Amino acid sequence: MGDRYDIAIVGSGPAGLSAAINAKIRNKNIIIFGNKNLSSKVEKAPKVNNYLGFYEITGTELRDQFQKHINSMNIDITTERINTIYAMGEYFALAVNEKMYEAKAIILATGIEYTKPLKGEEEFLGRGVGYCATCDAPLYKGKVVTIIGYNREAEEEANYVSELAEKIFYVPMYKAEYNLKRGNIEILKDKPLEIQGDDRVRNVILKNETIATDGVFVLKDSVAPNQLVPGLLVENDHIKVDLNMSTNIKGCFAAGDCTGKPYQYMRAAGQGQVAALNAVSYLDSL
Amino acid sequence: MISEIKDTNFAEIIKSSSEPVVVDFWASWCGPCKMLAPVIDEISGEIGDKAKFFKLNVDENPVTSTQYKIASIPTVMVLKNGEVVDTLVGFRPKDAIKSVIEKHI
Repeated sequence: MGDRYDIAIVGSGPAGLSAAINAKIRNKNIIIFGNKNLSSKVEKAPKVNNYLGFYEITGTELRDQFQKHINSMNIDITTERINTIYAMGEYFALAVNEKMYEAKAIILATGIEYTKPLKGEEEFLGRGVGYCATCDAPLYKGKVVTIIGYNREAEEEANYVSELAEKIFYVPMYKAEYNLKRGNIEILKDKPLEIQGDDRVRNVILKNETIATDGVFVLKDSVAPNQLVPGLLVENDHIKVDLNMSTNIKGCFAAGDCTGKPYQYMRAAGQGQVAALNAVSYLDSL
Repeated sequence: MISEIKDTNFAEIIKSSSEPVVVDFWASWCGPCKMLAPVIDEISGEIGDKAKFFKLNVDENPVTSTQYKIASIPTVMVLKNGEVVDTLVGFRPKDAIKSVIEKHI
């Protein structure tokens, strides 16, 4: 646990960077989490013609300009992945595996990349559906658990849960050699369609069969914003914001694609600026 | 401080209380539970005597956890006259939990 930052920005695309430079100009102590390449979407754009002032620029060139700009302002990207952000009341706690950062205000600029929830996933959340297998595994001692895994880390979680649960169905959403240890893990190469139940989860319906299960863990690469920040209000797959880029949580702002369409650089940068300036006003009001 | 509630005294406490009872289901291995604990502490301080606050360790109290179908923790349950009137699964910001509890006061 280090210092408490004024503003933590999550995401290093145009929205996050624009928020960062504006907060820095206002002399706030900031931390920005993101990627070395800033944004793979910007990097991959073949040609950009709708970013005012940068005519016929390639995505890579634009990315390099962004990088130069933040370098000139001594803004460094912290390349750590935030797992969960807890709104503690007076401040926010940002969890990175075992590590924790603290900030008085946060700006979410995570873009939009997460996969849609399965049918029944949200309905049965907490009634058999979970997102953290290692967290809830002891509650499934001796029971049947289905793990829908979107990445290799899900295999490790499956191995751990298999020590406690009686039987695991592992449904991989990617192709690889699966490193699953124990004999009680059954791999089902099938497409999950729906999670069903009554007062709690009973079945997972796959394309080719229906399996009876006590619990379902959906383990994804990028999590939906309301899983990243528990309690955050999301509407139509986007974070709900007002014209000040404020969310339903005091001190939590959002900008860019994660707040809605159109998915464009200038909109993202503009919103990042609005979010930063309002985060500054919020800090001044504390 | 929020007191512990257990399998042995759960039924008695929820029945005998005229105020709403707030129970935080937790376990020592659960990260989000650790984050929630100080938040519940603060809320209990602010709400005072208008509700009773307890925490229940799911590892040590399997009877109550099974009876109330706890499938994910943290879970915060609000009970009134022995009946569950609200359930919050997972971490929630302070204001969100407080407003749910205040509904029942």
